[in-house]
Order: sequence, then C-alpha cells, then structure tokens
Amino acid sequence: MRYALLVQGAPYSSQASHSAVRFAAALLSRGHHLECVFFYHDGVYNASRLAAPPQDEPHLVDAWVKLNEEHGTQLQVCIAAALRRGLLDEREASRHGKSGHSVEPPFELTGLGQLVDLGLGVDRLVTFAP
Amino acid sequence: MILHILNRSPSSSLVYREALAGMGPEDRLLLVEDGVQGALPSQVRHFEGIGGRLFALREDLVAHGLEGHCDASVQVVDVDGFVALTEEADKTVSWF
Repeated sequence: MRYALLVQGAPYSSQASHSAVRFAAALLSRGHHLECVFFYHDGVYNASRLAAPPQDEPHLVDAWVKLNEEHGTQLQVCIAAALRRGLLDEREASRHGKSGHSVEPPFELTGLGQLVDLGLGVDRLVTFAP
Repeated sequence: MILHILNRSPSSSLVYREALAGMGPEDRLLLVEDGVQGALPSQVRHFEGIGGRLFALREDLVAHGLEGHCDASVQVVDVDGFVALTEEADKTVSWF
C-alpha cells in the first residue's frame, strides 16, 4: 500500500515525531511504500537543518533525511507554518532579506494543497499529533 | 471500518469521549503514547461498550512501565500490529 504520514508535533517536545519515525520503519518493513511525510503546525521544526541534538540521542532530522535517501520518501513542509516559525529555505530567506536559511533539501516548502492531494492520492494517511 | 488512534490518557483529557462518540459499530480504537494509560484495569471502564475493539501499543506500554498491567479486555499490539490495523481499516482518525 502507499502511505503518507502527517506530523504535527515538534521534535523533542512531544512524542509525535518519534512515534511517526517508528511507524515509518514498521510500514516499510511490511513491504509498503511511504510516499511522503508532511510536516504541519509545530511539526515543521522537524525540518530544521540546524538541529544538533546530543550524539547519544536519536537524531530525528537525520532519520527523516534517511527515509528520503533510502526509500524516496518526499519530505514536505507547510510553507505558511514554516515561515512564521523561522524555517526558511534559501529562496524564501533571500525573498525575506534574511542572511541564513534553516531548511534545505530533501525537505521542501510546499502548500496545504499538497496535503489535500496526498490525502486523495495515497491509500492511508496517518496523523501523528502532539 | 475506521481505526481511531488516541494519544491522551482519560485521566488528563476528555477527548476520549469525542473519540468514542465518533466511533461506528465496527470501528476500532488504538491507545498510543500517554493514551495507553487507558488500558489499565482502573481506567478501562471509560471504554466499556467497545469490547473486543480496544487495542494498546506495546512499545508505549513498555515506555510507561505498564507492560503486563493491561486489563484483559485490551488487545496489545506492537508497532507491526499497528501497521496491520491501518491495513485492515479503510482510513484512520487521530484524536489528540
């Protein structure tokens, strides 16, 4: 089956991101395809390229990137939720006159329309909220 | 059949009432994260009426030190079983 996950919890604040990573690994091991993880609300903090957790803790940002590298999972971030939280890719940083950017590929800033498309296009959409 | 997913304990949030009110006669309820506290014998009464359709996630029971303390009416599944539940359901609804 084709799955997508909706993550609405910030890393290290709630269990949502950890639950979603664990669920992602389980569905892949059962032979399913993980089409996309969509980050919304405080979930957009999962896309911060500057995250630097202690080395003996799970690195959630790296875990998402690994999903993209190994399984082609798209990592989509709600642009409206991201910009107001200081999560900007290079293009948005430049557009808003900011000197640095905090989001980089494979994460991509996108709109809620993409989430609607996902909900219509995949077999299962599972929400992980704070 | 819809799989409802609840991550709040009945002792800290009343959202479980909305989840139960939103459930159809065939729907299932999976307790995850803090929600697994609802699987304890002292709290499971909140979910009477959905006997046989109440599940709890083993990994979160372990994380809360509650493995082996669930009420007998609750079916314990691991994360692999969580995925299986989503396969069997037409869709999922998360309550939080």
